[in-house]
Amino acid sequence: MKPQARKLGIGVVAGCVSIAAVALLRGKASGRRTARLRVERGLTALRLVARGGARYASNAPRLFAAAGEHRQQLRNDLALQTAEDVAATLGTMKGVLMKLGQMASYIDDGLTPAARRTLSRLQDSVPPMSPELAAQVVTEELGRPPEQAFATWDPEPIAAASIGQVHRAITLDGRAVAVKVQYPGIAETIEADLGNVALLRRMLKISAPSQDVDGLLAELRERITEELDYRAEARNQQLFARYYEGHPTIHVPKIIEELSTRRLVTSDLADGARFAELASWSQAERDLAAETIYRFVFRSLYEMHAFNGDPHPGNYLFGGGGRVTFLDFGLVKHFTDDELRPLVEMVKHLCVENDPEAFRRAMVEAGFLRADTPLPTDMIVEHMALFYDTVRERGPRTMTGEYASAVTRRFFDFRSPLAAYAAIPRSYVILQRINLGLFALLGELSATADWRCIAEEIWPFVQAPPCTPMGAAEATWRAARRDFGEARRAVR
Amino acid sequence: MTAEPYASASGLVERSAAAYVSAVPDQPQDDGFFGPASVTWRVTSDLSAPVAGLRSLLMQALHPLAMAGVDQHSDWRLDPVGRLAATSAYEATVTFGDRASATRVAERVRAIHTRVRGVDTVTGQAYAASDPALLLWVHVALVDSALAASKLFGTPLADAKADAYVREMTIAAELLGVPHEIIPASVAELRRYFADVRGELRCTPAAAESMGYLLDPAGLGEDIAELWQDIRDAAIATLPGWAREMYGYPAPDPVTAERRTEIRQALGVLDAVFLAEPGVLEARQRLALRMRSAARVAGG
Repeated sequence: MKPQARKLGIGVVAGCVSIAAVALLRGKASGRRTARLRVERGLTALRLVARGGARYASNAPRLFAAAGEHRQQLRNDLALQTAEDVAATLGTMKGVLMKLGQMASYIDDGLTPAARRTLSRLQDSVPPMSPELAAQVVTEELGRPPEQAFATWDPEPIAAASIGQVHRAITLDGRAVAVKVQYPGIAETIEADLGNVALLRRMLKISAPSQDVDGLLAELRERITEELDYRAEARNQQLFARYYEGHPTIHVPKIIEELSTRRLVTSDLADGARFAELASWSQAERDLAAETIYRFVFRSLYEMHAFNGDPHPGNYLFGGGGRVTFLDFGLVKHFTDDELRPLVEMVKHLCVENDPEAFRRAMVEAGFLRADTPLPTDMIVEHMALFYDTVRERGPRTMTGEYASAVTRRFFDFRSPLAAYAAIPRSYVILQRINLGLFALLGELSATADWRCIAEEIWPFVQAPPCTPMGAAEATWRAARRDFGEARRAVR
Repeated sequence: MTAEPYASASGLVERSAAAYVSAVPDQPQDDGFFGPASVTWRVTSDLSAPVAGLRSLLMQALHPLAMAGVDQHSDWRLDPVGRLAATSAYEATVTFGDRASATRVAERVRAIHTRVRGVDTVTGQAYAASDPALLLWVHVALVDSALAASKLFGTPLADAKADAYVREMTIAAELLGVPHEIIPASVAELRRYFADVRGELRCTPAAAESMGYLLDPAGLGEDIAELWQDIRDAAIATLPGWAREMYGYPAPDPVTAERRTEIRQALGVLDAVFLAEPGVLEARQRLALRMRSAARVAGG
């Protein structure tokens, strides 16, 4: 038997996208493996999925028109006209590949340029629905055609969305809204393909029955399945919208519940600058936007016990003065108290109480580290400290792309002696997106702030007084919320 | 095993894709011999096409003289991937190219065929690649394979459409010099042809060797080999029982709905991989636009 892990490594290094994608499909059960190899394989599998799948447009409201008029016309001419067209385009594993690739990109962002090309090709291969097909879905969902269900309906989609597309409309009572319409039949298609667990396991290049692996697969399947029902997304977005209502800089468009169904999500239409435009804004503006995003991520995590798993540039609209609109809540993970506690403990022991042994115990409790790991604590701390680098000390720090890359590299450092004893428990899989997505995003903004200081405001075990003007405004907002505890309970 | 596993397999996908892209015209002078409203365009674009392709080769190899021609003249052992890509390019050009392009590649193949002649060591018979009987066998094997593969693993054709496909495809054989009157032009004629020709078919050592290679190509990476295995199982499942027996393949398990789905899922992944090769998406879109517009015209 050939050493499979090594061979996969070759595929990764060679950047042979197509073949790696094929490799996804047919992992062969190989014999026994060391613990070290198992970890390596698990992570390698995710890389491979990222190669074979696509960073699908889903959460990134990629404008159909972005590539110019000719392209727009082309897409219109190729528009999906029937549910059969949808099945031909996204059936037979293609939709699943895209979603798996998207999911994997939450875990490993270290895609080669060739892999990115593959993902974007798959993404490009999905045309929008024809106006008639989109109208048909609306009619089926709301019981009447869009022209009757809305005062005004724009038949041309304004953006691609998660397994669907976004239309503008004005409700009968005059609200300007964005309506996300799901491709007909896509949920059934993806569900059917997801039902083939054996094949999925092979696609993941995972063959040995191992609890970690099955857990990971289960998590991916659960997240994808959840995304197929827009009602879950509407529910999540409404929770965030209610929670952040009145916030000085964070804005989440409200859901119009009576116009939201399994295949429709209707929310207030939001306006603002795209991430790309931010590059031309002043650094001060960019710093403020970054501070808002940072506060949003960690307030949501520590107070709502929820994490919006897609800090993708396409999911923000910027309004100046740090105002940010957060879009797309299709990938929200809710944490139980038990799941969150060890994470909080880890931060507390490493960054505040400076107690390495307690930090290590919390890592073990969380399942990140095996209890019998025969490595000295200072080695473990040294390895892990990078992830906490921006919050270990006070003082202004500038986020850089280099830092984000370093974090990514550290996370996937198979050569580390720690790799043999480390794992990512199922519940925390999505959290890696903080490292791999948020930091990359803030790095792209070259955002500077005293992140430690902001974190101390948010850390539940510190709850320090505000240290920035935004923090002060936020404190006023929090104080004004009579039903703060109630809102928090509602979220759980 | 001589080649680096991944390099070899990656060549298969990349070169087949390049062949396909180059064959789908950007600005055709005309709709070619089939056209966007044809059944042939639909069949050729079917998800099951890779299965049809492999089955074609398995069928074609069963004619000792056709096999001898390949065995004694082709560089296929040295460069199997290149040979397969060249065949794909030819088929795609004849199907999707304009008339001038299709005629040009057919003439080139006919010129090559005039040089391919010899004596088959197994039967002792002389052969010539330009022999209409051999060309017809190769043609019919391809047409029959497309029907069989799409029926089992693709989008099956209604009877009338299957007949239309066989009829449309007669031009492909004519382009290579087969007289029109001997080319089967319906599914029933196809069946009769097989009944007539059966006695000439057998699995020669050259066929066994070549197909043995094709079903389990050396130098393919383990993972590619496993994907190939799905395609190959599917191709074997679509073979007529007599062809399977000639090769000595065990009777395959019946294709259950579940197994069909699995094969289609494998084909879907393969298709996604193919789609990611440079130019493939654009080529597909060019064809889809023309097929759409033809359908609109037909629909009034």
